[in-house]
Amino acid sequence: MGLRAPNVLLTRANRIKSKLQTVLEAKVLEVEDVSYQHAGHSAVRDNANETHFNVKVVSDKFDGQSLVRRHRLVYDALADELASGLHALSIVAKTPKEAGLS
Amino acid sequence: MASMKLIISAPHTTTINTLSTTSNKSPIKNLSFFSFPSSTALKSIHTTKTPPRRFLNLIVSALGKLSDTELVPVSSLFPSAAGVYAVYDNNSDLQFVGLSRNIQSSILNHRKTVPELCGSIKVGLVDNPDRSSLTDAWKSWMEEYIEATGKVPPGNESGNTTWVRQAPPKKKADLRITPGRNTQLTVPLEELIDRMVKENKVVAFIKGSRSAPQCGFSQRVVGILDSEGVDYESVDVLDEEHNGGLRETLKRYSNWPTFPQVFVNGELVGGCDILSSMHEKGELAGLFKQ
Repeated sequence: MGLRAPNVLLTRANRIKSKLQTVLEAKVLEVEDVSYQHAGHSAVRDNANETHFNVKVVSDKFDGQSLVRRHRLVYDALADELASGLHALSIVAKTPKEAGLS
Repeated sequence: MASMKLIISAPHTTTINTLSTTSNKSPIKNLSFFSFPSSTALKSIHTTKTPPRRFLNLIVSALGKLSDTELVPVSSLFPSAAGVYAVYDNNSDLQFVGLSRNIQSSILNHRKTVPELCGSIKVGLVDNPDRSSLTDAWKSWMEEYIEATGKVPPGNESGNTTWVRQAPPKKKADLRITPGRNTQLTVPLEELIDRMVKENKVVAFIKGSRSAPQCGFSQRVVGILDSEGVDYESVDVLDEEHNGGLRETLKRYSNWPTFPQVFVNGELVGGCDILSSMHEKGELAGLFKQ
């Protein structure tokens, strides 16, 4: 994915996709912005949007890793986003085998 | 006496505003007692002057005056029938007048919950145990006692819940890191967190209290832990008053950027997604047993 525009102009969903793809070499990658479900949530201030996402990643890098470590890989890849308003992720992290891909 | 305003309560919960039954001299306001299913038959109680009946080792008497009723040890076998009963402590002081559809089971329950107050018992059976007969019987004993002593049995006083069947156990209180906002920590917060998760088998750091989680993910985690029947501690990361600075410090401590966070035996298990997944796969029970 060639980034022609500065990062800030991309949606957060696209930034998340791009970062996870780069770090995890995902075989399957789905990112869904579900911030609307959390509008009015105490942590969502100032009409902030792009706060809550569902992420599904299938990656060989999860092989042999516990769920905690898989989620950490995802969180680590998105550290900048988490520091800039990304509030919560719902993560499904599977190996290709678990996802029935191989 | 007639002008005395009494608020008398017995185990939950029907309230009637006046006593307007037959033998009644003093209007007593706001009486409350057990609630019953309503009954179709409304017959008057046949009270007084029936001699005590004895069969087998049951000690049974139809309703008479409280003062005329035989006092028997609490360990006696009582009928599983409807009526009123008076509980006396070991000094033979009246503690409570109750009514019940099953006297034996009510007394067993009192013996379990307040054994120190259960010395001996008086029982008056009510033959036609419809609601009004039972409450009339209960009132007649209460009035007799109040008339004789000028006071209400302690257990029947308003607000006394000693004899009320115990409500289901309340949810545990959330753990707090400090007693209040201005507490000077003598150890770093990281260390307090570390102790907290190592000294307690299961700790859930959630948003909001466990009885009222403020976030859907925390709510789900509380629901899962409750349904697993696991004894766990909870900490409200939004409670700035008692847990100031916890959110940021915990994120660093656990290397995990979101809440809720669940620790078992000092190890981070994960957040809502992981708990849900393990719960669905039946993997949590094994983890909590370790």
